[in-house]
Amino acid sequence: MKTYPLTAAQRMHDIWIRDYGTQQVSGVSMVAALKIPMEFDVLQRCMQMEYERNGCMRLRFTKRNRQGEVKQYFSGKKRSIGEVPLIDLSGMSSQEADDTMQHWAYQTFDGDNIAMFEFKMVKLPHGFNGFFLHMDHRLVDSQGLAVLVGDLLRLYAHEVLGTKEPPELADFSQVLERDLAKASNPRRLEKDKRFWDDQLDTLGEPLYSDIQGPSVLEESRRLHNDPTLRAADVEMTDTFVAVKDYYLEPEPTSRLMRFCEYNQLSVTNVILLLIRTYLSKVNNGQEDITIQNFISRRSTRAEMASGGSRTIMFPCRTVIPPDMEFLDAAYEIQQAQNRIYLHGNYDPELIREEMRKRYGTPPNTAYESCYLTYQPPAASYETASLKGIPFYVKWFANGAATKKMYLTVSHNSAGEMRFSYHYQTAHLVENDIELLYYYMMKILFRGINDPHVTVGDIMAQV
Amino acid sequence: MNLDLQFKEILAQYCDYSADEITNDMRFREDLAMSSLDFATLLGEIEDEFDIEFEEVGFANIMSVGKALEVLEEMV
Repeated sequence: MKTYPLTAAQRMHDIWIRDYGTQQVSGVSMVAALKIPMEFDVLQRCMQMEYERNGCMRLRFTKRNRQGEVKQYFSGKKRSIGEVPLIDLSGMSSQEADDTMQHWAYQTFDGDNIAMFEFKMVKLPHGFNGFFLHMDHRLVDSQGLAVLVGDLLRLYAHEVLGTKEPPELADFSQVLERDLAKASNPRRLEKDKRFWDDQLDTLGEPLYSDIQGPSVLEESRRLHNDPTLRAADVEMTDTFVAVKDYYLEPEPTSRLMRFCEYNQLSVTNVILLLIRTYLSKVNNGQEDITIQNFISRRSTRAEMASGGSRTIMFPCRTVIPPDMEFLDAAYEIQQAQNRIYLHGNYDPELIREEMRKRYGTPPNTAYESCYLTYQPPAASYETASLKGIPFYVKWFANGAATKKMYLTVSHNSAGEMRFSYHYQTAHLVENDIELLYYYMMKILFRGINDPHVTVGDIMAQV
Repeated sequence: MNLDLQFKEILAQYCDYSADEITNDMRFREDLAMSSLDFATLLGEIEDEFDIEFEEVGFANIMSVGKALEVLEEMV
């Protein structure tokens, strides 16, 4: 049996599983349903076909060795996925059905050498029929899951409705092998290490900033009896998460997109600027702010058309003085991000190791309170081949957050932008998130109305 | 294999054109629909493939396939 080490992106999730002592932190779930009567025997056959087509579904993990490491391997392509249960939720209200599925998303995959995905076929209220899929993030990230679900729905539509047969997916094992080979290239590794070390050489130790202001870092300083501590404690036990979604209407979304296009800015970088400006505002004008930003690491056609877990987070460190103009600050972040993209094969755990070595960062502390993923419109759920059939897609949080606040920004077919905040209820309440979103929007529209206003003025005015 | 073709074969993996459809006047962002992340990943792959190292300051000026080839020819 051929085994592979985990990639850096998989290792990120694996470390969270190990440190938090539960696989729940690595769960990812969604439901996808069409408003048509469904032939569930055909759907189950399509699930088996998807298992054969989509290599990441066949990944399994070995038992942890003495060093706590696991390896991965592919289980047989022709192996049966078994009987998939059909669960009828059609008699419930939409809210009750969602609550039931939310509960399924809290389940864990416990054991070694087992399948790390589970299908359920579902009948939903209002005539929707489809499936719920629960997986381990080491197999798939959200974009990979969208590839999987989209392919499965197209397979079904082809089988039942006679639509065009979906093209073959890229060979996941080849993409995985290529990824591992790139990451182990010693010259590349040295170059990436030099980049991240240079950042610390130039800027020194990062400084924590919290959504709730400086009192959080002060509390950690007291706890550690270290008045100079620059990292704050991370919640390790009560990881329950709540989700709050806000929708930015089509018109202001369109204004933001036009602003980005006109100024050749990536939306991610503008959102990073909004978050960091808010953090600076509530932390007495702190200039040195770090946010963890997730990068999709999907650029080639094969990477786009294969599943797998490729998304990885890197610290985006911004040092922006108050007299810098909004537009210049956005470019500053863009330049920093572009440099990070060049070193996106690096394992972020090595950056943390280097910081622990240099600064003696205590265990279970972090320099960041906010985490961001931006999913551009192209990465949104693609349903072209199902045009005309109403569909329902919903993502479910795994219920256990390793991060204090994790924001996912995406687009929907109504032209809105969705700001989905996942936050740890042990420390944050909905009002904290409302304030964050409210100020992010105020900063955004103050900035795009007058891109030459300074960041300091924006903080004072909003 | 000549440099031009070798570069375009790598580039073809990042866009919806085959190597022989890619022309030197094509721009990475506008014509090949590549994002900053795509472009940075491509540069990394070119560095590994040709055993070279780009100067970071010069990236912003590489807008087209032809310009990238010019820079590459100087370095290889």
